[in-house]
Amino acid sequence: MNELLIKNACVIDPLRGINAETMDIAIRDGRIVEEVSGAAEVIDAHGALTLPGGIDSHTHICGTKVNFGRYMSPEDMRAGRTPRRGPLHATSGYSVPTTYGNSYRYSVMGYTTLLEGAMAPLEARHTHEEFTYTPLQDTMANVLFDGNWGVMEAIRDGDIKRVAAIIAWTLRAVKGFGVKLTNPGGTEAWQWGKNVSCIRDPVPYFEVTPAEIIRSVVEANELLHLPHSVHLHCNNLGTPGNYTCTLGSLGLIPDLNRKRQTLYATHVQFHAYGGSGWRDFCSKSEPIARFVNMRPQIVMDMGQVMFGKTTTMTADGPMEFNLYRLHHDKWSNHDVELETGSGIIPVIYRRKNLVNSIMWAIGLELALLTKSPWQCLLTTDNPNGAPFVRYPEIIALLMSKRYRDAEFATVHPDTAARVPLPAIERELDWYEIAVMTRAGQAKALGIQDLGKGHLGPGAEADIAIYPLRIDEVDPSTDYRKVIEAFGRTEYTIKRGRVVARRGECLVDGSNATFWVRPKVSDAYDMGKDPDFIEKFDRYYTVRMRNYPVQEEYLNRNRCIETEAAI
Amino acid sequence: MKVTLAMKPGPRSFIPIEAESIVPKNFLAGTDLAVWRGNRELRLDEVFSVSVEGDADRPEDVEVVLSGDDTFRLKRVGEYMDGGKITVLGDIGMHCGNFMSGGTIEIHGNADGWLGREMTGGTILCRGDVADYCASGYRGGRKGMKGGSVEVFGRAGDFLAESIAGGTVTVHGDAGDMAGAEMHGGTLIVHGDCRRPAANMKTGSCYVYGTAQGMLPTFAKNGTVQHEGRTLIHFTGDIANRGKGNLFVKGYKYLD
Repeated sequence: MNELLIKNACVIDPLRGINAETMDIAIRDGRIVEEVSGAAEVIDAHGALTLPGGIDSHTHICGTKVNFGRYMSPEDMRAGRTPRRGPLHATSGYSVPTTYGNSYRYSVMGYTTLLEGAMAPLEARHTHEEFTYTPLQDTMANVLFDGNWGVMEAIRDGDIKRVAAIIAWTLRAVKGFGVKLTNPGGTEAWQWGKNVSCIRDPVPYFEVTPAEIIRSVVEANELLHLPHSVHLHCNNLGTPGNYTCTLGSLGLIPDLNRKRQTLYATHVQFHAYGGSGWRDFCSKSEPIARFVNMRPQIVMDMGQVMFGKTTTMTADGPMEFNLYRLHHDKWSNHDVELETGSGIIPVIYRRKNLVNSIMWAIGLELALLTKSPWQCLLTTDNPNGAPFVRYPEIIALLMSKRYRDAEFATVHPDTAARVPLPAIERELDWYEIAVMTRAGQAKALGIQDLGKGHLGPGAEADIAIYPLRIDEVDPSTDYRKVIEAFGRTEYTIKRGRVVARRGECLVDGSNATFWVRPKVSDAYDMGKDPDFIEKFDRYYTVRMRNYPVQEEYLNRNRCIETEAAI
Repeated sequence: MKVTLAMKPGPRSFIPIEAESIVPKNFLAGTDLAVWRGNRELRLDEVFSVSVEGDADRPEDVEVVLSGDDTFRLKRVGEYMDGGKITVLGDIGMHCGNFMSGGTIEIHGNADGWLGREMTGGTILCRGDVADYCASGYRGGRKGMKGGSVEVFGRAGDFLAESIAGGTVTVHGDAGDMAGAEMHGGTLIVHGDCRRPAANMKTGSCYVYGTAQGMLPTFAKNGTVQHEGRTLIHFTGDIANRGKGNLFVKGYKYLD
């Protein structure tokens, strides 16, 4: 029996409605309990801010395209090197660090759970292998279905149940967690050298539109009773004037689930652009935020851009090609047969650049204009907007008008005429930040019942104690202290064990991978469906029996079984 | 001040010695420096017989002379050097003169790869041959040499002055494949032949006084020019990279 008692913690736990109460937290064998014996080890928090462990609901840290980002950027690998010491492995890299680099740096910031935003099903083994070497965080992966041939054929035939059945079979085969649509239809069109311009454009050959894909997959997702909703990267990422397309996509979504949202729209900053070209490019965060404020069925994340070097990587192949034509630097493009694709390029976001300055403002505006923090979560779409190590700065920007004004004074001078940011007075409070960085994520991913994102009895003992007393620090003026505190926890506790202390990771850790197995009836078991098997064996370059990821690829894992309605 | 470092004959070994501490300014504070052989840190006098004549109070007045049969094992000599002189009476290992910004390095023998990589100033003279990636950028980097000059009296290997962004590189012998690849500034002069010069160049000037073998088809021919008593054919490109660089060759041969 392993017991730990945290005394005098100033707890903010939004899922239980606790706002800054000083209390003790008792932990036994990795779970939070009502009380522990007198023999428990004691940590005195001295009134420091104590939150559930951070959860990143959209990040790119493991898998083939992340790894391709690593090997096409040896210059990035020369940055941020740390030597091996004690139980820690050597790390290197800044925007696409090694898996250990990701894990240690997240842990130092108090993050204990990560969702890989896009996993190509065919290449799932690689993602799971890298998960094994991301030891200090629990992991899960969204599976890409944006260009899945079987899914598109079923949509063309109007058979939603078959869509659900294919999703169920694939999730189970590749040990995935959620359903991701990246530029639905667009990446399939890219395999024909094309793209879709918006949600009403048919995909070549399949003759289904992105709107049909989104609607059908959302319905199928609910048929399977998956913990997470559909996770959507809208069409037309990064093009001026794309906000209309984003509004059109969000408008397709009915409210189908009482417990959580029906759609998670990711990195909306990249989808909230106005103007007809780069010359009159401007922010359209206001209509997007207004739209989301009226629709509880939608949750989005910021996709904040921060100035500096980074690497962009996405399954949205055509968009990366357009970026490549703008930057004319390195470019990688990748096709995943029958499923999806990807593209990668390195970028530098500059203050001197008007477009980059507007992008920076839009992310903040979305977070500030969305009334409920549960509906706009904090991300950078790591590493697309910025590496995750910039989160503390974003927290400070959201909490301090003064910091925003100081930063705004350094961006391109024409920005003020194109964005509403200078007029926004709102400063988020500690509770709202706690929602945007852990509780909101747990609710949106549907993992609060598994003991994530809160500190109630029975929850997993994932806890972050920040070296900061909220009664002493005024975030609107002491924003430097906020950045420092959120950048380095006093204690990061993972499953009841102190894994990081004052910026130093202490243990090698052992994570768990969460995956979903929807239980479907025999009639909808695609593993026995003759048509599915025949198509699979005809078109894939792998045999169907070799396709599923064997359990050996998963380290510790936790299978979530759902009762599907098919 | 003259510092003589005579390399002691050691056991026959090809383990390189990481000698980034051998920079003139470091000797102003004495000779208590360390180098690494594999994972072992060694004092300077364990590897060299060290003798010092005179004294100096600025790096410009320091000359370091390296001698011995095994100097080819020394890597990163003169890294971040900003003044003074290093003379190598023999061959030198990889990465000599990395990032140097001033001073002179003279090598009487041959130099291994990455000589003067990403240097920003100063002068490097090599009396022998240089291996690959002389005066170039490093893996994945966008900028190679940014200033200063490199003169090689022998031949150069492949990827000579790759990604060069400024400064001058002169090779009196032949150069290998891909000389001046990704060039975006500076000047490259090859007195002999080379293969596929200035591939993907953006700006800058590349002169080949011999024959450009495997000449790339993505350069536009602009007639001939007189240059230091030679008649050279002038090309601009690389069109594949929307480049506006100048490539001058004495003769050229396209791939068959």
